[in-house]
Amino acid sequence: MADDPDHDGIDDPKEYRWETGYERTWESIKEDEDGMIDAAIAELIQKAKRKRQHDKTAQNRLGMMRHVFLIVDCTENMNTSDLKPSRLFCTVKLLEMFIQEFFDQNPISQMGIIALKGKRAEKLTELTGTSKKHIQVVQELTKLNPSGEPSLQNGLDMALKALKVLPTHASREILVIMGSLTTCDPVDINATVESLKTEGIRTSIISLSAEIRICRYITSETNGNFGAVLDDSHFKDQLMAHIDPPQAAQTQENSLIKMGFPHPRAEEGKGPILSMCMCHIDNKDDPSKLSSAGFHCPQCLSKYCELPVECLSCGLTLVSAPHLARSYHHLFPVKQFREVLFNGQSDKCYACQKVFTAEADKHVYFCEMCEQFYCCDCDLFVHDTMHTCVGCNTLPGVQKRIALKVSGGQGGFGI
Amino acid sequence: MESNEADISLLVVILDTNPSQKIIRKNAHAMTQCIDAVVAFGNTHLMQKSQNKLAVIACHHSVTEFLYPTAGKLEVRQVDGQYEIFTLVEKTVKHRLAELINSAPRIVQPCESLLAGSISMALAYIARVNRNKSVGMRLSSRILIVTGSNECASQYMTYMNVFFTAQKQGVTIDVCALDKSLSLLQQGTDITGGQYLKLPQLDGVLQYLLWVFLPDHQTRDKLVLPPASKVDYRAACFCHRELIDIGYVCSVCLSIFCKITPICGTCQTVFKNSAPIREKKKRTIK
Repeated sequence: MADDPDHDGIDDPKEYRWETGYERTWESIKEDEDGMIDAAIAELIQKAKRKRQHDKTAQNRLGMMRHVFLIVDCTENMNTSDLKPSRLFCTVKLLEMFIQEFFDQNPISQMGIIALKGKRAEKLTELTGTSKKHIQVVQELTKLNPSGEPSLQNGLDMALKALKVLPTHASREILVIMGSLTTCDPVDINATVESLKTEGIRTSIISLSAEIRICRYITSETNGNFGAVLDDSHFKDQLMAHIDPPQAAQTQENSLIKMGFPHPRAEEGKGPILSMCMCHIDNKDDPSKLSSAGFHCPQCLSKYCELPVECLSCGLTLVSAPHLARSYHHLFPVKQFREVLFNGQSDKCYACQKVFTAEADKHVYFCEMCEQFYCCDCDLFVHDTMHTCVGCNTLPGVQKRIALKVSGGQGGFGI
Repeated sequence: MESNEADISLLVVILDTNPSQKIIRKNAHAMTQCIDAVVAFGNTHLMQKSQNKLAVIACHHSVTEFLYPTAGKLEVRQVDGQYEIFTLVEKTVKHRLAELINSAPRIVQPCESLLAGSISMALAYIARVNRNKSVGMRLSSRILIVTGSNECASQYMTYMNVFFTAQKQGVTIDVCALDKSLSLLQQGTDITGGQYLKLPQLDGVLQYLLWVFLPDHQTRDKLVLPPASKVDYRAACFCHRELIDIGYVCSVCLSIFCKITPICGTCQTVFKNSAPIREKKKRTIK
C-alpha cells in the first residue's frame, strides 16, 4: 500500500502505487531445486496475508468510543464496472462486511449512514449502535439507480451537523466512499473543511476512481486517511483499516461517562414481569412483543431487547461488562510474533497442532512471551480474531511474567 | 433431523485433569470415572454419523495438550467386533493422558486450571479444520468443557476474548460443571448459545453428558433441557470490586468506577468535570 498517506501530505515523495505496483512480479517467484514453484507461491500467499498486520502497535490512548458517519456516494459514477460487478454492488458487499466487523470490534461505538444522491445528501440511518439496521439499509442501496453528481459538501455538512452536538470525549469520524471525480457544491467547500477541522472531526476518504486533490486536502487537514483503490481486495484492505480505533486526538476531552449495566430483575418468589421492549415500540413491521426476557435500564426501567443501546427515555448508555471487555484488546494487543525461518524448531504449531513441513512453512512465528512456535494461519487468527495468545494462556507462569512487565495495566472486571 | 452427507460435526472436549480439583483430591476414582465418561461420550458422538469428528484436549495444571487426535498414529490392535475408531480413541486418550500425567511436574500447592487458554487452543484447532475442509462441506463445531475447578477472575479477559471469538466463528460452548457453579463459563454458554449444566452428583456423569450435550444445536431446540438461568452481566467497579448497576467509565481506558473521580486510577487521565458537582450547599455552611 504505497499510497498510505498518514501525515506525509500532498507532496508525497513516494511514487504512486500504479507506477510501481506490478513491476517484475515474476522475479519474486523462484524455482526450487526440483524446478517447482509451490514453495515460492506459498510464501507469497503468506506474505500477502500478513501485510495488514505490521503497523499495529500498542497504543494506550485510543478513541474507542467512536461515532462514525459513513458517507456513500450513490451517483452515476458508481455504475462503472471497474470493480465487479459494479462499484456500487462491490461497495455494498464490502460495507456489509465492514459494518459487521466494526460493531464486533468496537462494541460501544455508533455509526450512521448518509447517501449522496443527485447533489443531495440523504441520511439513511441515524447514529446507532446496532449493525442490523445499517446492514439492511446498505443492502437496499443496490435497488437504487445511481444518477447525477454527488455533493461532497452537502454530505459533510450533514454529518458535521449531527456530530457537532455529540460530547467531545468520543472520537468523531467521517468515512466517505467516493466514486465520482467531481463534487458539485453549493458554496465554498473550504468553509466546511475549516469547521471540520475546528470541531476535530477526523475525515477519511476512500476514492474508487483516482486521487482527487480536494479529498486529499480534506483528509490531511482533519487528520484522516486518504486512499484510492486499485481493485476490490485493495478496497477491502483500505476499508478494513478503519476497523481499528484511531489514536485519540489531542483535542479529544477525557471524561467519565455514566453507563448502566442492566441485569435480570427477578424478585424472590415471583416470576419475571411481562413487559414490552422500547426498541420495537415504534416499529410497525416487527412490533414489540410482550415477554419477560430483556434488559432493563437501571435508571428508568425501560426494557430493551439487546445491548449495547442508549436508553430512549433517559439517555443512559446501557452496556454489559463483556462489551467493555471486548474493547480492551485494542488497549492491550497481543505482541507481534517474530517471524523466523523454519528449521525444525518445533514439529507442530502450538495452537492448531498443524505439523510443520519444510515445503509449506518457510517461516514460523515465535511468541517471545511464551516461547512457542505458531503457523502463519494461527498467527493471523491470534492477532486478528482472538486477540489472545494461545501459549501465553495455557502455560502457567507466563501470565505472571507478562503482568510484571505491564504492571498496573489491566484492572479487573467481573467476578 | 435430516442428515446430510456434507455436514460435518466437530466436537472438541476439554477435560480438566488438574489434580488440584476438589473432586479428584477427595476421590481419585472420580478422575477415572470422568475419563471413561468422556471417552464413551466422544465415541457416541462419532457413532452418530461417519463424518463426525472428535478432538479431546486435556487441561492439566502444567500444560494443555491434545489427547486425540495426535500427530503420530498409535498402534492399536483391533478388539473383535468393535469399530476400530472407538478403540483408537480410547487407547490414544488413555495412553496420552498417562504420558501427560507421568511427565508433569509434581504440584506443590493447588493451582488453577487455565481453561480459557485451552478454549483458545480448541478455537485455533477448529479454525484449522475449518480452513482445510473440502469444498462444499459444512462444518459445525462445538466445545464441551468438563471441569471441577474453580474459575479464576484473572483469566477474565481471555475468557471474554475466546467467548466472542467463538460467537463470531459460530462455535457453541457447552459447559459441564462437576463441582462448583461457574458464573464466568456460564456467561460464555450464554454468549455462544450453548448449554450450561452443573451436575447435581458425580455418579452417572455419562448419562448427564449424553442427555444434555450430545444432541446438536438443531435438535436441542426440540428437547426440554435444563433451563438457562439468568446470567448476570453486571460489571464490578475497579475501585471497590462491587457489582454495580450504574457506573462511570473512563473514556480513554474504559475502567469502571462506581463514583466520579477526578483522575482515572488506571491510566492516570485527568478528567474534565463534565458532570456538575454540587458543592454549593457546603460552601454556604462554611
